[in-house]
Amino acid sequence: MAIRVSTGDIQTGLPQAAFDSIAALGRKLRNALRMCMATTAGRIGFPIVMVHFILAAIGPWLAPYSPTEFHEPLDVFQLQAPSTQFWLGTDQFGRDILSRIMAGATSIIAVSVAGAGLGIALGTAVGMSSAYKGGRVDEVVMRVMDGLMSFPSLLLALLVLTSLGPSHVNIAATVGVVSMPRVARVIRSVTLTLKTQEFVQSARLRGESSFYIVFREILPNALPVLGVEASIRLSYAVLTVSSLGFLGLGVQPPSSDWGLMISQSRQFLVSAPWVALAPAGAVASLIVGVNLLADGLKQASGLPQEKAS
Amino acid sequence: MTTIAESAPPLVKIDGLAVTFYTPRGSVRALRSVSLEVGRGEVLGVVGESGCGKSTMAFAIMGYLPGTTKVDGTIHFEGREIADMRASELRELRGNRIAMVYQDPATSLNPTMRVGPQIEEVLREHLNLDGKAARERVAELFRSVNLADPERVGRRYPHQLSGGMQQRVGIAMALACGPDLLIMDEPTTGLDVTTEATILDLVVELKDRVNAGIIYVSHNLGVIARVADRVAVMYAGQVVEEAPVRDLFKDPKHPYTAGLLACVPQPPTDGEVATTLRSIPGSVFSAQDEAGDGCLFAERCPMAQDDCRSRSPALFDVGGGHSARCFFAKDVRTDIWGEAEEREERARSTEQPVLEATGLRRFYGQWQRKYIFFGPRVRPPVRAVSDIDFEVGASSTLGIVGESGSGKTTAARAVAGLVPRTRGELRLRGEDLASSVEDRTGSQKAAMSMVFQNPAASLNPKRPIKHAIVRSLRKFAGLGRKESRDRAAELMEAVGLDASHLDRHPGELSGGQQQRVALAGAFAANPDVIIADEAVSALDVSVQAQVLNLLGEHQKEAGSSYIFISHDLGVVRYVSDDILVLYAGHVAESGPAEAVLNGPSHPYTEALLSAAPVPDPDAEPTRIRLSGAVPTLRQRFQGCFFAGRCPRKIGPICDDTPPPPNNRPPPPPPPRRRAGRPPTGASRPLTPAQPKSN
Repeated sequence: MAIRVSTGDIQTGLPQAAFDSIAALGRKLRNALRMCMATTAGRIGFPIVMVHFILAAIGPWLAPYSPTEFHEPLDVFQLQAPSTQFWLGTDQFGRDILSRIMAGATSIIAVSVAGAGLGIALGTAVGMSSAYKGGRVDEVVMRVMDGLMSFPSLLLALLVLTSLGPSHVNIAATVGVVSMPRVARVIRSVTLTLKTQEFVQSARLRGESSFYIVFREILPNALPVLGVEASIRLSYAVLTVSSLGFLGLGVQPPSSDWGLMISQSRQFLVSAPWVALAPAGAVASLIVGVNLLADGLKQASGLPQEKAS
Repeated sequence: MTTIAESAPPLVKIDGLAVTFYTPRGSVRALRSVSLEVGRGEVLGVVGESGCGKSTMAFAIMGYLPGTTKVDGTIHFEGREIADMRASELRELRGNRIAMVYQDPATSLNPTMRVGPQIEEVLREHLNLDGKAARERVAELFRSVNLADPERVGRRYPHQLSGGMQQRVGIAMALACGPDLLIMDEPTTGLDVTTEATILDLVVELKDRVNAGIIYVSHNLGVIARVADRVAVMYAGQVVEEAPVRDLFKDPKHPYTAGLLACVPQPPTDGEVATTLRSIPGSVFSAQDEAGDGCLFAERCPMAQDDCRSRSPALFDVGGGHSARCFFAKDVRTDIWGEAEEREERARSTEQPVLEATGLRRFYGQWQRKYIFFGPRVRPPVRAVSDIDFEVGASSTLGIVGESGSGKTTAARAVAGLVPRTRGELRLRGEDLASSVEDRTGSQKAAMSMVFQNPAASLNPKRPIKHAIVRSLRKFAGLGRKESRDRAAELMEAVGLDASHLDRHPGELSGGQQQRVALAGAFAANPDVIIADEAVSALDVSVQAQVLNLLGEHQKEAGSSYIFISHDLGVVRYVSDDILVLYAGHVAESGPAEAVLNGPSHPYTEALLSAAPVPDPDAEPTRIRLSGAVPTLRQRFQGCFFAGRCPRKIGPICDDTPPPPNNRPPPPPPPRRRAGRPPTGASRPLTPAQPKSN
């Protein structure tokens, strides 16, 4: 049985179906969030993540200064320690660090979310189809995924970005491709258990297309796993994006990027540690927050508590 | 059993035991009020449907309840209160004085240890036996539970033993310290009937040999009738009736017991007519619900009066050690659940069969070579179904029976097209059916539907229950959104469910209700053939009867044919017109139901029939017992496929020559076969024109 799109002998009623599934998804998300907030990890992680997301959305308007504003004269404002005027101090060009972090949140979060989302989408499609199809196709697809996974992800990202040039889209695409095989693996194993269930057999006997079975019958049952996997992938995406920035392949100066900020502040680590600590703290709190959220989701959905890969 | 009370306290005395579990979803009242006594040398059978608290009671005696449990009432063991014992005393008691045999031997034995040392460990812990003495005692124990080769069995790991052997090891372990009380919690539920029969023989034998009290917990009335001296019937955490076994089965005094007995399909004895199955409406009183003032059974009881709903009855003694928790115990008769109506004899249709299978074969896996792609072929495929033939007549039922591993489910899935067949032909109304369901035409798909064993898994837990029904209506009947919704509501009412349930999710329904929904989905496209694969096996007897009756009604109205697969001979006998007995992927016997079951002509059918437990304590079981296990299906049988276990084996000829086909005389009722084919019914119903490779 090949993966075939609906053979046309039935009308699926796509707009209505799409509306239904979006409504259902909303309900499920609300539900998952409520369950998640009942766990300690979720209660701590969710607000941290929310603060970051809000910053990413409206940070540039909240910031006290422009992120690129050089405060003159330089010998006064350069590398100032945190004060009431500059809450987190200034960097070597006399720019306000708080404003730069708030401005940088947008790019890192947007790129990470896009990258992780792409990875989840690709990985789910590949993992589910491969598992449902089974047999030799599954074998080949999964070996290709293993091959992809065997590259160190940062190295692979560097390779792609040096040849394509750094841009938001390229970084997100690279992060997506790098996280795809891991998502595919997790989703594949869930699908393998689900596809032996009787309700899938019933759907086959009813003559449903493979496409329908995979995405309308099996996928809803894989959503809890998918939610947990998405938050784990997001934390790895943040890590990868900021590493790329640190290596100079992220967002190009003068716009602010947390990774780049850490990288450029290395030389003042002893004389002005706040210049490095502030962006490092921002990256760390985002990753910790997302990981806590993932743990909370996992506990809430009752999945086994194993270590994330 | 009534004279023990005078001198010493009874072995175990449970008084007013109530157990409540506190869970995040609210409290579960597993036991509401249980008072029982067990004496030495007697077997107390505890019977009831799932959720009635049978196992909780067993675990309460062992003191195995989790910390979040509230226990009221007392349990005295030889006059001492178990709750007052210290942890060390309790540990001494368990294993040494009280032992338990669990339902699943595969999980109650440690898979990483050889079985001998596992029992030696018990002996070392409790009896200080070590080394040679312990090993000898283990061999002695193995001999006492009739394990073949008792000296060497101990060196095997649990996975190297068959289910029956594992359970014997489990029983040997329970007997290791010569316990005074043995609790057996559904010890044969996971086993095949033929294995179950040998374990039951062992329990009956043990009862006479060890002077221990035995509490035997089972949901199966037939099993209880076979082993118990006294029976306690449990309902919703209460004992509703307690009586000596014969009184209970012959003259039940509680409507629930009478109902349970009326629900079990019983073989008609000679001269009697077959009767319809009666059923208990509704489902078991939920352990999550607070008991009101009335009788917990009043909701489902045909005799219930106003009084029953306002006052809770106590256990009334009706004499002879027989008591029942019913105000009207004296008036309970077997016919309160409706007269046993005579089943109408269905005329055998002479039409063409709806479905024909010829030489159906399904092997799993392929030959494996020594070095993956090269080298000699070392591992053959599993021959799950080897060349079976059968026909399903128009609006009649073909019952397929056999033990696990006999290929019945594989055959059904190959017919449905869920697994492709390796070889053979399938014809639906003369049309060839493709091997896999995806390659069949729309009308062929519509003509066949399937009901599965596990009701919880056969509905998508994330979709509302209308989903499956509406989808098949829209696909096969071509109905629009509104019409299919209306029709689905009709179908729900036809299977006895409220149409307002359509938008609920499967998790909100009970197992019986889920199975009804699955049936509604199967009926939706009005198929010619419905395959029911162990469709009632996971259900409680009272619910099972409801579903069986539903299937029967649908057949009468819509004229569908059924392929009904079950390991339960009683159920298959009740529903089937024709029967196919499978063993090791081969047809052992086939033919009209009465002919096969009343005069079996294959030794395997004979053994199956003799092993099936009958809910009648006076039934003298014919003692045909099969030893050993179902053979490996990796090689082709040289001779007869049953030779390895056959009690009627005549000699080496059975091992090297396949028996001749078709040695059953034509069955007495007019056979429903097509012209041109001999009246078949024996192991190889093939015309001579079609020689078979196997």
